[in-house]
Amino acid sequence: MADIDENLVRQIVQEVLAQTKNVDTPIDFGKNSSTATATKQQANSKAVPEKKVDWFQPVGEAKPGYSKDEVVIAVGPAFATVLDKTMTGVPHREVLRQVIAGIEEEGLKARVVKVYRTSDVGFMAVQGDHLSGSGIAVGIQSKGTAIIHQKDEDPLSNLELFPQAPVLTPETFRAIGKNAAMYAKGETPEPVPAVNDALARAHYQAIAAIMHIRETHQVVVGKPEEEIKVTF
Amino acid sequence: MSEIDDLVKKITQQLGEQSTSAASSKTGATSVPDNMGRNDYPLYGKHRNLVKTPTGKNLDDINLNSIKNDQIKGDEMRITPEALKMQGEIAASAGRPAIQKNFQRAAELTKVPDARLLQMYNALRPYRSSKQDLLDIADELRNKYNAPICAAWFEEAAKYYESRKKLKGDN
Amino acid sequence: MKRQKRFEALKKRPIHKDTFVDEWPDEGFVAMMGPNDPKPSIKVENGVITEMDGKKREDFDLIDLYIAKYAINIDNVEKVMATDSTKIARMLVDPNVSRDEVLKYTSALTPAKAEEVISKLDFGEMIMGVKKMRPRYKPANQCHVTNTVDNPVEIAADAAEAALRGFPEQETTTAVARYAPFNAISILVGSQTGRPGVLTQCSVEEATELQLGMRGFTAYAETISVYGTDRVFTDGDDTPWSKGFLASCYASRGLKMRFTSGAGSEVLMGYPEGKSMLYLEARCILLTKGSGVQGLQNGAVSCISMPGAVPNGLREVLGENLLCMMCDIECASGCDQTFSASDMRRTERFMGQFIGGTDYICSGYAAEDNYDNTFAGSNTDVNDYDDMYVMERDLGQNYGIHPVSEEDVIKIRNKAAKALQAVFDALGLPKITDEEVEAATYANTHDDMPKRDMVADMKAAQNMMDRGITAIDLIKALADNGYPEVAQATLDLQKQKVCGDYLQTSSIFDSKWNVNSAVNNPNTYQGPGTGYRLYEDKDEWKKIKALPWALDPEHLKL
Repeated sequence: MADIDENLVRQIVQEVLAQTKNVDTPIDFGKNSSTATATKQQANSKAVPEKKVDWFQPVGEAKPGYSKDEVVIAVGPAFATVLDKTMTGVPHREVLRQVIAGIEEEGLKARVVKVYRTSDVGFMAVQGDHLSGSGIAVGIQSKGTAIIHQKDEDPLSNLELFPQAPVLTPETFRAIGKNAAMYAKGETPEPVPAVNDALARAHYQAIAAIMHIRETHQVVVGKPEEEIKVTF
Repeated sequence: MSEIDDLVKKITQQLGEQSTSAASSKTGATSVPDNMGRNDYPLYGKHRNLVKTPTGKNLDDINLNSIKNDQIKGDEMRITPEALKMQGEIAASAGRPAIQKNFQRAAELTKVPDARLLQMYNALRPYRSSKQDLLDIADELRNKYNAPICAAWFEEAAKYYESRKKLKGDN
Repeated sequence: MKRQKRFEALKKRPIHKDTFVDEWPDEGFVAMMGPNDPKPSIKVENGVITEMDGKKREDFDLIDLYIAKYAINIDNVEKVMATDSTKIARMLVDPNVSRDEVLKYTSALTPAKAEEVISKLDFGEMIMGVKKMRPRYKPANQCHVTNTVDNPVEIAADAAEAALRGFPEQETTTAVARYAPFNAISILVGSQTGRPGVLTQCSVEEATELQLGMRGFTAYAETISVYGTDRVFTDGDDTPWSKGFLASCYASRGLKMRFTSGAGSEVLMGYPEGKSMLYLEARCILLTKGSGVQGLQNGAVSCISMPGAVPNGLREVLGENLLCMMCDIECASGCDQTFSASDMRRTERFMGQFIGGTDYICSGYAAEDNYDNTFAGSNTDVNDYDDMYVMERDLGQNYGIHPVSEEDVIKIRNKAAKALQAVFDALGLPKITDEEVEAATYANTHDDMPKRDMVADMKAAQNMMDRGITAIDLIKALADNGYPEVAQATLDLQKQKVCGDYLQTSSIFDSKWNVNSAVNNPNTYQGPGTGYRLYEDKDEWKKIKALPWALDPEHLKL
């Protein structure tokens, strides 16, 4: 079982509590969310500005790829620019470095896109696989939850799902990239071994929720995916 | 179908619920009681002879021998609209009218093939269908499968998906 | 600061591994009666609800529209809404008021009114309410049967053992979705070997799950999730209308099903709309009721650490179980997923559901070591079996399971593994070796099993679906290869799907396929001297009393 990084947890909680106090826009409870989302490209009033990150640069709206040898990595709206590590403290930069390395090990190309319209890992991957020339995408939330998804699958189905972010290590992320590439080549790889940490929920679920709330604040309804240039 | 059920219920009640009580304890009875009640339950124990497979086989005629001899097809062991109607009446008589309504929809859907049924379900999921897509399925349900309750279900969904932004392209 | 030694020691206790957070109502971190929860109200015009809980009809979201049309008894609603919530709450614990009388009120509650009624009860009063409102006469339990490598032989053996221990319902899921057909047939064959009459399910994506049911590989479905806010419902890839339709799809194939919901899911999925967990869950429960679905799995379920992190959290969890029963819906009451590092708190988790007695106290109990639980671990697992038997014996209270002998377990595990071996052989699936059968007979976890070629298994599972294999082929394979009684049990299950008796509320079967539900065996509890009591249930109490390791004082050699 992975030890909790107490400092990280404390830091996140402090950050969140600090942010709570800063929330000055009251929620309008009279309005229901479905009508509120009707207009195009609506950002959440609680979103914070994205940081500029030199290794992770937006280069314009992502377009569908036609190259059969690419795998799209679709990351969440807070990834790298609002939050910078997963809930167990794996830096987002390291996450991407590993997944990309895994894909390249299989001789394929990785493309990174940032999804804004959802913070849900399944739907994130669906946006990704529609942009992916191979039809295969890896979805990754800021908290670290990951999925390998194929075009034509139902959004909540998957080739492989890694719902337990607390047990995902850099090695797992590399293996996820490798398997995604193998699916793109039409192979059937041995699934990345599922690791079980029965007590992870007790330690991490509330933290996961807080991270997900932060990511969800960054959702922009109707905003298309952004192509990301990654330099390590 | 629900209107008919209601009518039958009313008439039965007017007749002093005699059919329900008369049918309740007779395992061997061959006539279908007008309206099943909670005392007719379980059907397997009390009215097994009234329960048939979709091709009309009796449950007691299906055994390991008939399976060994390939007399039973993979889709033989399915519930029929008649059994769902009886179970719906039992549910309502036990104080659960919403379950009866569900079984009325289900009875209509027994005729829809598996693959088409899955497609219909998927069409109702958010952002999958245009309003016309949903109305087309409603027509299909009404005209091809004689399923007016389910057709109305799709029409109601089409109306609300439009006003509450769950149609294709609304995301 | 120089550490005080007692504080230092306390800090090392397991409870400090659990996470607790302060209330944060705007993001849903509040158990019940949150400051933003709507106040109960109702307006009915020409038989249509035009205002509910402070919201006008034109502002209703899909969930409001659905509840207003399908879930509330309009004839009674004005009277009930005008009744003091404390009065309704008192009816739940008053032995002079029958269950049927309570239902007249609880069938006409709006979500905010339902929340208000529950909030009047303390934890002990909720237990009393559960005693009266559980739909089925006798409580039962449900288990998980999984392993993290989806080893089919081990699933069959574990399912057989769990059946023997008394679980009438069993649930599997997969580590990898494509394995689902194998998991489904393994748990089916294993459970029917262990005890005819067990119901099994395979929890996977909605459409796939229905497909497995249509093939006859599963007997029921449970993971049909509903949520309390419109946005989370959409992220769950459904609407009330699609879920209601799905419910009818299951019934149209003669398959039992229940919905799943629970506190904390909306917070975890990021869109609680500033409402409390209990208010949102009240919406889910009413939505279930309106769909005409006989049952609901609730009680926070996999999001248990959310209510667990805030004040009044576990009170809220039992409260939502109770509300489910007050709506006359079968309740599979959670107590499933791992929740605490503290054994004391783990016990606290199920106490209300256990003492109150629900239709399925756990949904489910890990019938494998938590290391192998693909639902990411359960609050109680195989290592807790003996503790649970002792608690049942100590309190005279049914937990739905009973002690078994090691010899019987070895025998039944072996038989289940062999039966599955025969099925795989007959259906041309990747071979199950004698070595695997032997290993599964004695295994505790998948580490005790020889490794299988998972890629070959997945391809074969897909191929089995493509070939159109159904339960009938399975029955034939069992009958032709020396397992007529397992074949018969599997056939009897298919007959029940034709008959539909187990579509009624809270249905389970005994080993002779007699159905036991809220229709033919309703809860009759109304105070002392009434209702189910373990110590009056002769056969079951005998099994519980006979703790295998209890000493015989009369013949004890000293």
